[in-house]
Amino acid sequence: MRRAWMIVLMGLVAMQARAATWTGGDDLPTSPLPCTGAAPAPAAKPYDGGQPTKPPNLKGKKISVVDVPKLIGIGYFNATSKGIADGAKELGNVDAKTDGPTKANIDEQITFIDNYITQGVNGILFAANDPVAISPVLKKALSKGIHVVGYDANSEPGAREWFVNQAQFNGIAKSLMDNMAKEIGEDGAFAIVTSTFTTPNQARWIAEMAAYAAKCHPKMKWLETVEAQEDNVLSFNGATTLINKYGDQLKGLFGMTSVATPAGAEAITQAKKCGKIAEVGLATPNAMKPYVATGCVKSVVLWNPVDLGYAAVYVLRAAVDGTLKPGDKSVKAGKLGTLTVVNGSEILLGPPYVFTKENINNFDF
Amino acid sequence: MEAIAAPPLGARRLRRLAAAYGQELVVLGALVVLMVGVGLYNPRFLSDTSLTSVFSGNAYIAVAAIGMSMVIITGNIDVSVGALIGVLGTIAGTLAVNGAPTWVSWGTPLLVGMAVNAVIGLLVAYARIPAIVVTLGMLSILRGGLISATGGKWISGLPSAFRLAQERFFGVPSGVFIAAILTVIAALWMRYSSTGRAIYAVGGNAEAARAAGVRTQGMLVLVFALHGFFAGIAAVLFATQLQVIQSTVPPNLEMSIITASVIGGVSILGGTGTVIGSTLAALLFSAIASALIFVNISAYWLRAVLGLLILGTVLADMARRRRKGRIQ
Amino acid sequence: MSVAGSAEGRPAAGRRLSPRSLLRHESVLLVLVVITLAMLAHQSDRFFTTDNLLNQGRLMAEVGFASLTMTFVIITGGIDLSVGSILGLGAIMLGVFWKNVGLPLPVAMVLAVAVGGVCGLVNGLIITRFRVPPLIATLATLSLYRGLAEGISESRSVRGYPEWFFRLGQGDVFGVPTQVWILVLAAIFGALVLSRTTFGRATYALGANETAARFSGVAVDRTKLLIYTASGLAASLASVIFVSRVSTTRSDMGTGLELDAITAVVLGGTSIFGGRGTIAGTVLGLVLIQALRNGLALSGVKGDGTIMVIGAVLILAILVSNMLGRDGDG
Repeated sequence: MRRAWMIVLMGLVAMQARAATWTGGDDLPTSPLPCTGAAPAPAAKPYDGGQPTKPPNLKGKKISVVDVPKLIGIGYFNATSKGIADGAKELGNVDAKTDGPTKANIDEQITFIDNYITQGVNGILFAANDPVAISPVLKKALSKGIHVVGYDANSEPGAREWFVNQAQFNGIAKSLMDNMAKEIGEDGAFAIVTSTFTTPNQARWIAEMAAYAAKCHPKMKWLETVEAQEDNVLSFNGATTLINKYGDQLKGLFGMTSVATPAGAEAITQAKKCGKIAEVGLATPNAMKPYVATGCVKSVVLWNPVDLGYAAVYVLRAAVDGTLKPGDKSVKAGKLGTLTVVNGSEILLGPPYVFTKENINNFDF
Repeated sequence: MEAIAAPPLGARRLRRLAAAYGQELVVLGALVVLMVGVGLYNPRFLSDTSLTSVFSGNAYIAVAAIGMSMVIITGNIDVSVGALIGVLGTIAGTLAVNGAPTWVSWGTPLLVGMAVNAVIGLLVAYARIPAIVVTLGMLSILRGGLISATGGKWISGLPSAFRLAQERFFGVPSGVFIAAILTVIAALWMRYSSTGRAIYAVGGNAEAARAAGVRTQGMLVLVFALHGFFAGIAAVLFATQLQVIQSTVPPNLEMSIITASVIGGVSILGGTGTVIGSTLAALLFSAIASALIFVNISAYWLRAVLGLLILGTVLADMARRRRKGRIQ
Repeated sequence: MSVAGSAEGRPAAGRRLSPRSLLRHESVLLVLVVITLAMLAHQSDRFFTTDNLLNQGRLMAEVGFASLTMTFVIITGGIDLSVGSILGLGAIMLGVFWKNVGLPLPVAMVLAVAVGGVCGLVNGLIITRFRVPPLIATLATLSLYRGLAEGISESRSVRGYPEWFFRLGQGDVFGVPTQVWILVLAAIFGALVLSRTTFGRATYALGANETAARFSGVAVDRTKLLIYTASGLAASLASVIFVSRVSTTRSDMGTGLELDAITAVVLGGTSIFGGRGTIAGTVLGLVLIQALRNGLALSGVKGDGTIMVIGAVLILAILVSNMLGRDGDG
């Protein structure tokens, strides 16, 4: 029994030694935006997407499309799914449905896509749980003449024709850090609640935030990042523990998911720290309205996921109709107007949107 | 833990206590060591607000673990309880936002939980399907059903009277209060009432129990229904912690509940264990999760540490039992 | 002794080793599989094609390996909840050995599989040496191994494997996916070991009555050690194939795999109380689940509906089999 506990203790000591330099980001190269002024136009890059092999000519004809998000049954992907349905209805010649795993699991998502390839759809929309793992099955779809367009979370460029990018990673990172600096000052200390360290988007945003903070807000103190899956209660407990641990030192909390941000706001509210700790993060407006209304949260950053789904289905239709070809610089997407092609084969939805007390009630998703 | 079990004074009494509540004492010891250790490292860990959140954070797991312990004591298991709590929480929230009186929103999950689990109990007791099979199947059915029904739409705009878990009774967070009361009542009931003791009899030796006049099949249905009742209470506590309900199945919740029960000393072989141990274990996990953040262990290692601690506790218990066996 | 414990509370029929009742469950299952396949083929003309069926074989390989050894584990009356985590750890170690340590990939593959074996051995040691019930022991190592995978990798992926490596998970041999060959060989090997060797008999004997087996000279502890080690090896073999199939490693690979494997094994007629079960049954269980997943999707049922159907089939199959079994014995 003593030996068992010794092992436990030794393990604990070993783990502490490794904890020092870690932020929760990934180790891919970062590209922080300049601290002030407009973002520079992204460097032009030749088309690097993949093309379907001998797709049937379906120009203007009715097509069947399946949307396979990371998982079904969460608010965010309900919103993108609604956008896809709206877009499909508006186009009139797209038959779209959403189906996917009930857990954010790379294996299950691959199986779903594989099944739909067998079933024989004309187009696949996806939001990848893992950019690399999903690529072989997407390439298989392309090889069968199926059109493939991603949104929200990318695959390898060669495994899909286009990717609708809700906002560039460095843009989100800048928006989050600048808003936090505005609320807690240049020397404030903050902590982060994220989903898991393996979620690609979150890891990417955090890495870009670290790079941008080092460049533009060097005095802000990065306390720590905790994992809370995409779960309300775990996020709430994580945020509460951070508040208890750092006491008055903690000035700001970032929520990296649309679940963690309202849970963080709730933790601040229940700890009666409104006004003393700022919550900044990615979230959908409906979940944040109560906290914005009480003034506990000042700024929420997000794109409009309904628009994201809407754009994705328009891009897919354009790719099928041949109105969006490799090398094109823009695409028309219904009520969203003309969207720009960036970074080779990505279509940019626009800059991230900051919801505040003044505008949040104009949105319902 | 040895510090608790070994002191010479009142030795016989203590030894008897240790024999009856060995694993509970191990868990309690681990909890005290952890609290003191982390408290020394970072005194903030022992502040009011921190202790409050440690105690209330896992209250719903403690409540659910009471029912789970009973099920395990009868020699069965339930891997669907996490999904059930997700479903019941969603039912509670849906009723609340649609204007049902608060007592209806709180009470319905208890009844539905009892009904669902009574069905499980019937299948286990009368159709003789192993509990793990029934509940594995039920896990899929409940999870799929919840997503089909709600599409994962969040429930928001909960009336403030509904938010049970945010209340305080006599200054104590309601979750802690309820978990403590239920633990004490359940522990006393299982130790002193004839029905309660029959649960142990069914798990220890069903043949003997039957010979002694216990209706083992009926007992199983009763135990599962009770488990559903506790799951209902846990669901209400779970669903009322925040201002929104996610209407999804909370990840790995069943594992947390089962782990709390078995680490608390409920023998998976059936027949032994108390709900005091499972409540202490739920508290220990909550304390560990907080403590890791307090002592700056990188969250990457969180799960490994939890696993090591569970393993350490289990090995310590086995060593203790073996030593006890040798003395006898 | 088992997860669901009170064997004494069950009818004796559940524990008797009668070849008649064994056959009965598998026949029920076989009929069920045939009906399911026929119905699904009727629903969608794309279901019963060579391409699709071979592809399904590829998709079920990882769960398949874990299920084969899980059959042995459950026949001994034990359970191994840590297989999904071992798969995750194996995948991470493959990446670490290859990328971070810089070993040649074949060596890294062997070492990664070995790590799984060690994990399984540790499970076995905890269970046999410390007499910890398998459910608890592997519940603890489920957290521990997954935690190690997350900690060691810091949740970073290893990518960029050489092209030849993908032959294992994405390639074909004689027109059949590589891993399907391996799975078939493993299944035949497992079936032979279980039905034709002393080791197999020891497995049944110790599951039916461990004390009796011990007294009649079965090397109980050694048998268990070997079985849990094999379970770890199977999981890490699956991890190498999985990495090759999806061309990347992630620390969350294999989450929930244990429940899929247990479902297949139990659906295949292996008694969770130990002492009863066959590899053939497990293979039928695997095929049934995979066919339902794929076939229902092809016939337009969504994911949430599919898992509900699988849950119901699991309960009903055992229910029907139990009822027939009782009639026969009664």
